[in-house]
Amino acid sequence: MKLLFPLIQVVSFFLLVAYVYCKSPAYRLRRSEPLGAGQKVALFVFFALISMGGTLMGVKVQGAIANARAIGPVLAGLIGGPILGTAVGLVSGLHRFTFGGFTALACGISTPAEGLIGGLVGLHLMRSAAPDRSLSPVTAGVTMLAAECVQMLIILSVARPFTDAWALVKVIGLPMILANSCGAALFMSILRDRRDIYDLAGNASTARTLRIAERTLALLAKGFSPEVAPRLALIIQEETGVGAVAITDRESVLAFTGLGSEHHRPGTPIGSESTRRAIAQGEVVFQDGIREPYRCSLDANCPLGSVLVVPLLAGSDVIGTIKLYEKARKRFLSINRTLGEGLADLLASQLARAHYQEQKELLVLAELKLAHAQINPHFLFNSLATIQAITRRDPGRARALLGHLADFFRMNLKRNPELSTLQEELTHVSAYLEIEKARYEEQLSVGIDIDPALLHLKLPTFTLQPLVENAIKHGIAELLQPGSARIHAYLEDGCAHIDVEDDAGKYQPGRSGGGLGMGIVDRRIRTLLRGNQGLSVHCEPDRLTRISIVIPMVPGAA
Amino acid sequence: MMRAVVVDNELNARKELEALLAERGDIAVVGACGNAVQAIRVIRETRPEILFVDIHMPQVDGFELVAMIDPEQMPSVVFVTAHDEYALKAFEENAIDYLLKPVQAERLARTIEKVRRYAGEGRRPAPQPAIHRIPCVCSQGIKLVDAAEVEFVVSGETGVHLVTGQGEYLTELTLATLEANVARMVRCHKQFLVNLDQIDVFGRAEPTTAVLRTRSGRQVPVSRRYLAGLKELLGI
Repeated sequence: MKLLFPLIQVVSFFLLVAYVYCKSPAYRLRRSEPLGAGQKVALFVFFALISMGGTLMGVKVQGAIANARAIGPVLAGLIGGPILGTAVGLVSGLHRFTFGGFTALACGISTPAEGLIGGLVGLHLMRSAAPDRSLSPVTAGVTMLAAECVQMLIILSVARPFTDAWALVKVIGLPMILANSCGAALFMSILRDRRDIYDLAGNASTARTLRIAERTLALLAKGFSPEVAPRLALIIQEETGVGAVAITDRESVLAFTGLGSEHHRPGTPIGSESTRRAIAQGEVVFQDGIREPYRCSLDANCPLGSVLVVPLLAGSDVIGTIKLYEKARKRFLSINRTLGEGLADLLASQLARAHYQEQKELLVLAELKLAHAQINPHFLFNSLATIQAITRRDPGRARALLGHLADFFRMNLKRNPELSTLQEELTHVSAYLEIEKARYEEQLSVGIDIDPALLHLKLPTFTLQPLVENAIKHGIAELLQPGSARIHAYLEDGCAHIDVEDDAGKYQPGRSGGGLGMGIVDRRIRTLLRGNQGLSVHCEPDRLTRISIVIPMVPGAA
Repeated sequence: MMRAVVVDNELNARKELEALLAERGDIAVVGACGNAVQAIRVIRETRPEILFVDIHMPQVDGFELVAMIDPEQMPSVVFVTAHDEYALKAFEENAIDYLLKPVQAERLARTIEKVRRYAGEGRRPAPQPAIHRIPCVCSQGIKLVDAAEVEFVVSGETGVHLVTGQGEYLTELTLATLEANVARMVRCHKQFLVNLDQIDVFGRAEPTTAVLRTRSGRQVPVSRRYLAGLKELLGI
């Protein structure tokens, strides 16, 4: 038993080595990452050295060595599998063999065998439902215990004379089994704890980045503007926990939150050289307060001591900066630096998306204006011809029609370009219909059937009139006999349905004239009511064309 | 007094033009129609000297209508429209003039002057072959028969009939109009036109006449007078 203490000394030394090892950059064990070839070589070298050290630091007893050699191969096997374990064991066994003694052969055999045992246990657990157990200290201790027992059996069966072997095992058996088992368990425990710390840190930073992405996405959906800056700054400060956050455009501070906000006022021009540099060069500027000092350009007593300036890019233009500050004598965490730089990419892609969305909406609006400019002259001259004729027979009606015509054009010019209520759309349509009914007289009749509950429903401005115009121009006006149209709005299954029908059934997909107007209406519905399916068309040739819009009702929105 | 027919699918526009013409006192409006199909019959019955026709109309537009008028009865054509991008096409169709809506009395007066001048010179519009769909009378109203599907046309006591693989249709158009304005439609007999693309078999009956068989197996006679011309067209 007096051997136990020297062995514990050796094992303790190994634990120290393990601790230093896992602080070093060489240690890269991560959960959910399989070992690469490079890592396996590194583990092989490390554990082979440990194992040979175990032999060298052993205690000479009765022509043999009481040692801590087995920890290397067994742990290598548990972490890296049977091949790694056996390889470490072979090298170390061979090393031991050169020292000679009557147990040299037995030890040469037993060390690879112990590596193999560790490897088999590791492999079995890695393929089991709980792969993490291969790195548990209990597993390491129990495996080591078994491996050392096997070693004693090998000594007894291989070393000769047997009486010497038996005497040796009686002396070294228990101390070696105990010291090595405890050592293996503690060794493994150090390796695993270190890995968990890395994993946790990685998870926390991933989660934080995702949270920032999620919170800023909604904010930047409409693009970057001075109005969103204060909220953006607050989100970034909350999520990173840095001392202060500022957002600037190219000239002045748009928002500042955190330490020193009493003298870093929004609206003041950019004072710091680092920010101007970040804007001019479009590059991240980092003043860590140690190698490169940061001095507040506004107030000598400013508590802030380091800054990271990240340029905010929209396309290839720098539109401003985001600045992360830390107070003096507080280390600027490298994780926050990485996060800050990642933010630039994140925000740039969000701004690009917002820009794209805005361009798309502008395009739709431009198309709409173009379509109006194209269609209106025809409508206008035909209307004037109609009114001219009616003046002759019925001046009162002609006067009323001129009023409707003026109303219709005024509404075309003045209406809010995005969303209108169904009621407003119907007013627009009725002015239009008064003129069309006068043009076509008995050839055209129109039924309007609206659920009053839907009058406040919002839909893209200029949705209804183009559909009605389409039904008349490409439907009823194509008939030799009279035709009728119907505007029907009703509630069904929690959705507002708006149908525009005609009994001509002349719809042809992709027709140039009507296609333009319908295409715009469809795109506007899809763009302005995000997620909406747009128009659907049902046509029974020569009987019916029905254009339908379905808008899900948000409770309380109607 | 010149005789005029007004064709416009918009009632008020039609009435206005009638009123403007009536105010002048030298034009008699002998017919007013709301669509081209009706107009073909009215033109044949009233034989106007001047035709005011809207370009955009249901089913058969103004240009198609002009192509459907019997060349022998072709009046002076004036297109009336709000769509001024059609101006060039209107003159390609040999229209005398082109009026924009709303029509003004002074502008109309110049048009009438022009019509009189050209009428004195004996100049008449000669439209291009342009009939692709032929309006026919059927039980539901008007059917537009695709000209390429017509195998032959026969004129009898009951009128002019188009024969297609699907059936026979009565049309208001004359043989002369169809011959002049439908591509690939040629005269093979005093009472028959045949679509060159629908001839299946050319059968010789006697040295001087022939019988054609169409794709659906119907027979069309070829008279002596048209035999040589037809053979030339068929490259026989």
